[in-house]
Amino acid sequence: MAYDPRLAGAGTAAPDPPTPPPPPPSTASATATATKASASLEQADSFKLRFCTVCASNQNRSMEAHLRLSTASSPFPVISFGTGSLVRLPGPSITQPNVYHFNSTSYSQMYDELMSKDERLYRNNGILNMLDRNRNVKWGPERFQDWVPGSPRTDHVSKGDKGALGTEGGVVDAIITCEERCWDAVVDDLMNKGSPLNRPVHVFNVDIRDNHEEALVGGKAILELATRLNEIAAQEQKVLGSEGWENGTGEARRSFDEKVPEVLASWQEKWPNLPALWTLAWL
Amino acid sequence: MAQSGDQVVDQIAQLNAARNLVLGDAAFYPQIVNGVLPIIGAHSRVELRRWGTEFLAETFASPAFATSQKEQLATNVLQTVRNILELPEEDQMVLKNIVQTAASLYPLVFRHIINHPEARESWEHIEAIKQDILRRWDSFSYPVRVCCIKFAQRVVLVQTHGLIADPRRPEQNETSLAIVPRNHAILSLPNLEAESSGLLDRILTVFQEDASDPILVNATLNCLAALIRNRQSIGNKIINAILNFFPARQARSPVTPTVRVGVKSMERTSRALLINIMKRNPSHPLAGKMQQHIERLMQSRIEPADETSRKRGLPSEPTDGLDVAKRAKLSAELPPVIKIPPLPPGRISYAQLFTLTEDAGLSSFDVKQLPAEILVKIVVPLLARVDQSSLNQVVDAVRMRYQSVQKQQTTQSQPAAAEEEDDYEPEYSPMDVSPAEDQLGAVSSELAGEQPDLVSLGPFVLPRPPPLSEEQAADAGRDAVARVFDMLGSTTVTPNPVKGQGQQFGFSRLAGSTFDRDAWVTLLTRLATRAPAGLEAGPKLEADNPARRKPNISDAIRETLYRYILEDFRGRVNVGIMWLNEEWYNDRIQMKLAASNRKEEDEEVSVPLHYDHWVLRLLDGFLPYLDSRDIKIFIRFLSEIPEVTIPIAKRIASLAKDPERVNLCVQSFMYLIMFRPPAREICLDALEEVYQNYEESRPSAGKVLSRWRPQRVEQLQAEQTTLVNRTLNTQPPNETITNGFKDPRTARLSDSQTSSDTMVS
Repeated sequence: MAYDPRLAGAGTAAPDPPTPPPPPPSTASATATATKASASLEQADSFKLRFCTVCASNQNRSMEAHLRLSTASSPFPVISFGTGSLVRLPGPSITQPNVYHFNSTSYSQMYDELMSKDERLYRNNGILNMLDRNRNVKWGPERFQDWVPGSPRTDHVSKGDKGALGTEGGVVDAIITCEERCWDAVVDDLMNKGSPLNRPVHVFNVDIRDNHEEALVGGKAILELATRLNEIAAQEQKVLGSEGWENGTGEARRSFDEKVPEVLASWQEKWPNLPALWTLAWL
Repeated sequence: MAQSGDQVVDQIAQLNAARNLVLGDAAFYPQIVNGVLPIIGAHSRVELRRWGTEFLAETFASPAFATSQKEQLATNVLQTVRNILELPEEDQMVLKNIVQTAASLYPLVFRHIINHPEARESWEHIEAIKQDILRRWDSFSYPVRVCCIKFAQRVVLVQTHGLIADPRRPEQNETSLAIVPRNHAILSLPNLEAESSGLLDRILTVFQEDASDPILVNATLNCLAALIRNRQSIGNKIINAILNFFPARQARSPVTPTVRVGVKSMERTSRALLINIMKRNPSHPLAGKMQQHIERLMQSRIEPADETSRKRGLPSEPTDGLDVAKRAKLSAELPPVIKIPPLPPGRISYAQLFTLTEDAGLSSFDVKQLPAEILVKIVVPLLARVDQSSLNQVVDAVRMRYQSVQKQQTTQSQPAAAEEEDDYEPEYSPMDVSPAEDQLGAVSSELAGEQPDLVSLGPFVLPRPPPLSEEQAADAGRDAVARVFDMLGSTTVTPNPVKGQGQQFGFSRLAGSTFDRDAWVTLLTRLATRAPAGLEAGPKLEADNPARRKPNISDAIRETLYRYILEDFRGRVNVGIMWLNEEWYNDRIQMKLAASNRKEEDEEVSVPLHYDHWVLRLLDGFLPYLDSRDIKIFIRFLSEIPEVTIPIAKRIASLAKDPERVNLCVQSFMYLIMFRPPAREICLDALEEVYQNYEESRPSAGKVLSRWRPQRVEQLQAEQTTLVNRTLNTQPPNETITNGFKDPRTARLSDSQTSSDTMVS
């Protein structure tokens, strides 16, 4: 009970990235002898969309998804945020939540504090397990509204945050929220930010109820959505890389962006209990 | 080739290292960008160009890199960007990056030119880039087009007038036409403004297209917020374009899940944008309209996108020409329509499938009894003469029957396997299975014997019970009515909702709203008056055998209602009024219907009218119990029933027989005369009669009559006096009669005064 068993499973499934060297050189050395075509094919295979998961407090749902995406057998670059004004964790009663500030309190601090407050309570309601999981993923909860897209995140890579590799540029290709309120907040905030990067970003919502069990299911579903999206994106890269745009035909010629609604629709059919939403916004 | 491939990989690795450097410290950007430019130019390999353009896009978008430095650097890269853009190869990734870079570069270069009017070359480059992108916008591949929207938005943002935050510190103002000097050497304000206006229209056309693409629409919606917020001059135009955009209209059939995702996303994005605008400026002049639009979006969403039942319903309409009603409308010459009896419920045999006649004798006739040669003699000429359209009709009828039977069988065997939870199947529930089998065995054992294996295969729909005879149905109906009345009687205070009853009659929507006593009474009155209206096949039939039709359920309800009201007519007078109004209304409707159904001019149409009958019965029922204190209830009754007829007036007049109720009678008449003009003459006539026949009424009745029929009163008085004189009666003529024309209201007041006096006494 002291350690989240899911973490152990995930850990064996995918090797932890312990601050390895930047990836492009390694790909470069791996494919040093390859021909141009196979090199670009290789690139397409290793192509990864960058994701951002968002929930209210950047604790349960977004972090479960963050963990899933970053420790998948073929891990994704991922960052995560909360859209609430403060980080709220359940307390001894419904009127006494534990409240923390975003960006300045680490999961470890919260873990230690709650542990000293009432270990039994927070062990039993799963909060300590959750914080323990989270502190193994990244340093602390971040607020979406305080995120400056495009601002380099190299420090997160050096800190060894899970999924940080590939997010050094501070941009993502898709944002996945876990609640409609969060989707609204994200879309609204992106409008307020004024899209200074001129860079399109797909914003999805996958409605997940805020409890540990649903977060597990939701994390699985989000990983599947991410995998499907990445498949079509990689397919596009492959077509562009190997044959060039003009040579692709039919289905293959259709771009990643065009296929997104279809992918979401077919995903939704498989996960009818996680109502989804989508838009194309700007970073 | 392999050699160069290796080189490229190595080069990209080096470039990535350089990128990591600038990500760590933005101060290196100018140095790195200038160093990288020759490597990633138009003549380098496509991989390098992809990397390079992405790097440029990232550089000029980076919030870590100061704007003033970007501005300086921007002019350096223009030539390279232009050359790559103008390459004929059209690599999607490169173009996407280039358009993104251009969107970031445009305000930087524009600002640079405002401050450096001599930088004509830079302006030429950026102008060429802009024109090239705008020209090729529609021919670009999809992802590039999305980026073009954003580029156009940037251009519009720059080439319109923005707010000047602080005129003393121009470096802090955002880049817009507002900071362009009027006499700028290169930048011509009217031209730039005109261009941006046209560009804005082009951006907004996405909302006017017939089949808007959700990706382009969402991309546009999501970049408009900045324009609306920062550019008041064009804000309203953009908002109006959004207000006229209804995503639900884009949902053309077939509504696939993908279309649903698209429509929903456009709705939610429109909503998000409008909310964003209203949050920023709650007192926006268009706020009301925006709020309305948001609500309308919420409503329209229910229709095509979310609720599939309506969409699904449409194709189930017979479109194959089998629908008789449809064909009748289309073809000029009407083939005689053959009546196709419905199939009997439950399992059916082939014989039943093909039997189209309802004649029992004919359908039980065994053709095999006839010798073959006679059969041939009959059938061959018959086939030759058979009417083509009739033949088609019956063949179609049998085909339809066959198809529906087939469908039934397949739907019966499937549900167990189907996973769809939300499919609504009122016919089927697993609980039916075993009784259905039992029933089936009992009802059609010979059929079960034919195909015993099918019985064990799957669930069956419970066969419909044999149709009730008319009597049984009437009995059941009466029982139901009696139960409702029981309930009304037993729960005088607390409303007692018994849902099943209402649903049984299909009126649940009516009574479902309140479930109090009133709702049930409404239900009952309507049940009595309207429900059987449709069942009466026609006035002719009704006239033919009225005796058989008479004791029907509606009359039973009427009888019960009548008794119910009489039980406590003071308390239930409103029920009576409601009921009589329903009766009257239904009579009108029936008359209208009968008139419109009348085929021949001379045919006599008779409609059973209920109002007259029941209003009199009701009056007769409670008049004996009416006493002088009931005047308010009685007048209310008389004023609210839909029509006052002569017989009713006669009944009122009869009250005058009782000296104690004369006042009640006259007051009622006076009320009707004053406030019910259509009944005025009838009542005056009746009142005259009262005046003549009952002496006790004369003081009060005379007053009323003198107001409305002065001559007649004088005449009557004369008659009276002569009569009096003749009989030597000493009673003096009443003086109040001559009081003449009083204000009717005061007259009434004084009268009610007297009546209340009598009440006290």
